[in-house]
Amino acid sequence: MKQVLRLFISMLLFTALVLPVFAGGDQEGAAVDEPVTIEFWTSQTQSDRIATIQVLIDTFQVMNPNITIKLIPVDENDIPTNINTAAAAGTMPALIEIAAENAVAFGTEGLLDIDAATGSINEIGAERFYAGTLKLNESTKAGEYYGMPYHGWVQGIWYRADWFEEAGLNPPSTWEDIEKAAAYFYKPSENKYGILVGTKEETYAEQCFTQFAMSNGAGLFDKNGKLIFNSPEMKEVVEYYARLAKYNPPGPQTWRARDYYLQGRMAMFFYSTYIMDDLALQEDAAGSLTGENFSELAGADFDPDLVEHTRLASTISNSQDAGYGVVNSLAFPDHGDALKTAAAQRFVRYLYTPNAYITWLHMAPGGMNPVLAEIAGNERFQNDPKGLFQHYGKEKMQEIISGLNSIETFSIVEGNRIAAASIIYSKMVIPQMIYKITQEGMGIDQAMAWAEAEMAKLQ
Amino acid sequence: MIQTETTLASRFTLRQREQIFGWALILPAVVIILSMILYPIIYNMYLSFFDVNFHGKNTYLGLENHKEVALDPFFWKAVGTTVLYVVFTTVGTTLLGLIVAMAMNKRFPLRWLVRSLILFPYVAPVISVVFAWQFLFDPVQGIVMDLMVEKLGIFSERFNLIGSPKSAVWIAVTFSIWKNFPFAYLMFLSRLQAIDKNMYEAADIDGANGWAKFRYITLPEVYFVMGALVLLRIIWNFNKFEEIYLLTTNVKVLSVYTYFKAFIGTMEMGQGSALVVIQFLLLIGFILIYVKRVLKW
Repeated sequence: MKQVLRLFISMLLFTALVLPVFAGGDQEGAAVDEPVTIEFWTSQTQSDRIATIQVLIDTFQVMNPNITIKLIPVDENDIPTNINTAAAAGTMPALIEIAAENAVAFGTEGLLDIDAATGSINEIGAERFYAGTLKLNESTKAGEYYGMPYHGWVQGIWYRADWFEEAGLNPPSTWEDIEKAAAYFYKPSENKYGILVGTKEETYAEQCFTQFAMSNGAGLFDKNGKLIFNSPEMKEVVEYYARLAKYNPPGPQTWRARDYYLQGRMAMFFYSTYIMDDLALQEDAAGSLTGENFSELAGADFDPDLVEHTRLASTISNSQDAGYGVVNSLAFPDHGDALKTAAAQRFVRYLYTPNAYITWLHMAPGGMNPVLAEIAGNERFQNDPKGLFQHYGKEKMQEIISGLNSIETFSIVEGNRIAAASIIYSKMVIPQMIYKITQEGMGIDQAMAWAEAEMAKLQ
Repeated sequence: MIQTETTLASRFTLRQREQIFGWALILPAVVIILSMILYPIIYNMYLSFFDVNFHGKNTYLGLENHKEVALDPFFWKAVGTTVLYVVFTTVGTTLLGLIVAMAMNKRFPLRWLVRSLILFPYVAPVISVVFAWQFLFDPVQGIVMDLMVEKLGIFSERFNLIGSPKSAVWIAVTFSIWKNFPFAYLMFLSRLQAIDKNMYEAADIDGANGWAKFRYITLPEVYFVMGALVLLRIIWNFNKFEEIYLLTTNVKVLSVYTYFKAFIGTMEMGQGSALVVIQFLLLIGFILIYVKRVLKW
């Protein structure tokens, strides 16, 4: 018995004193010398994308036999709830792929390992990233990051250029032109609708709304972090948004209603550049053309001319011009296990190597755009499997990618990081307000007062 | 070994030993119930007195959460929606179940096939039928609006039955009746089959009409089955979550409202717990009155 105890104690001492010496002498990053299993949460939930990410993981695991990665897809709307409960339960994953806004929200709540993200960014080289995408992930301290930008999309209003031309309408860029066109094309008796803006309590509504708010110079906070949501500018935006929502198809709507556009039932809708391949390629559009069950109903054939007839208005203007998009980031939850973080960092380094990176981006050409300048110019990247670069032209694609550099958000005001705005994004206060106004018929003043009270709780 | 047995035998009487054996048998069940049901309930009650903070310490608030919930107009709206949902689904499933059971109690060809097909909505997985219903009611592509507007011309314009908060509750009620009436039907049918046919014959001889036979024979015979069915349906539907939430998130009955309060947006766990406690008290109070008055226990 005594001998066993002695052996045990000497082993303990050995690990405590001697091992760190070896570990310290390791090359870039901490080594992963013992078998470790980590969880990777991704917001990519489509089965084909999961399969692609799994291939990347399998490849990485062959090169790093000590590391096992479990891929867990989580719907983007469920991520805040899941990460908060995982933190409370002590079951945080080692790596998550989330919107940068959420990375800031979780980082502010102390859920993320800032050193790991900053370390990995510096290892890859901060200067290689588009500065704008890094800025979206920056913490209150310059040069320290909550997450690492990985890929992003730009949103805008996609519209039927042929219909607009026929009707003699201007492209939907200014508030006035958008509303005029929405009213013109709203023909509910023919089952056709003018526009689609998000009215369901989901992130999509926030994304549509933000661009309008930005175009009217309305924010949630001033640069000192004072809540100024209930301002005359913001009220104008809410009123305008509620008016636009009247030209929506009936009831609460969200991104799923892109189906209506692909079936020729809608003149304009908000969407990210993820729609590009659906417009251009038949096999991608198939999921939105579900006519097989009710052939006499809405199901429509793929319209090969739709892509020619569709244009993107990526800027909205009222008192100023505003573009909007979302950068997705990789972040390391703070779970206190250095070995797991080291394994996750190693995997992340692999994800930024050109081959892995381009494989990832090619899952959704147009929708997933690189945040490293050298990848954007990479020939293999531009030769995407769906032929989008060929279809839309390199120039258009480059314009979209460079849009990532100038994304505006409520959470950066005149260069100052306002973390509370990211928490408000994460908790979906604005979508709830929009829902109350457009679906439950609550008055605008009352709903805005409600939203401001909820926002104040989160500060 | 023999010695222990004798001491055990001498220390306890046969009756006591049987009691010990009985306790030993139900012990696993008791442990599971205590740990999986009672503990969460008590912990939930405990939480309802706190401002729950995920990443730090909880702050004791006393009855603040309960007060805030009770003064919240959205809460009373949720109570109203719940009562409406429970009343209509309970009446609907019970009546429909009774009518169908009485029809299925008559003889006709292929009755065995029809009897089993009726069970289909009840046994089908909720998630699959929910998606089918959502598709039926989609305002732009669904068959319901196509029929109502294009084919029959009942309405001049399409609208979102399943999405608008005002109409969605009625879709949820209809869905629940459709999904759950087979259970009532099954219970009624088995009771109806056990009624003595001689009573109906005697009533026929006395010249009773169909209504009188139903009123004075069938109804008293199924009374307690009906009482139990109503009670069960009220308990189940008062706490119903998945059928409603999956179909449409717009029907804020208490369970859905609690979910939004606790897990969406500002995630107010303490208030969520307080809500559940109040919901629990409402239900317990109701059950006590019901059992005493209607089931006459």
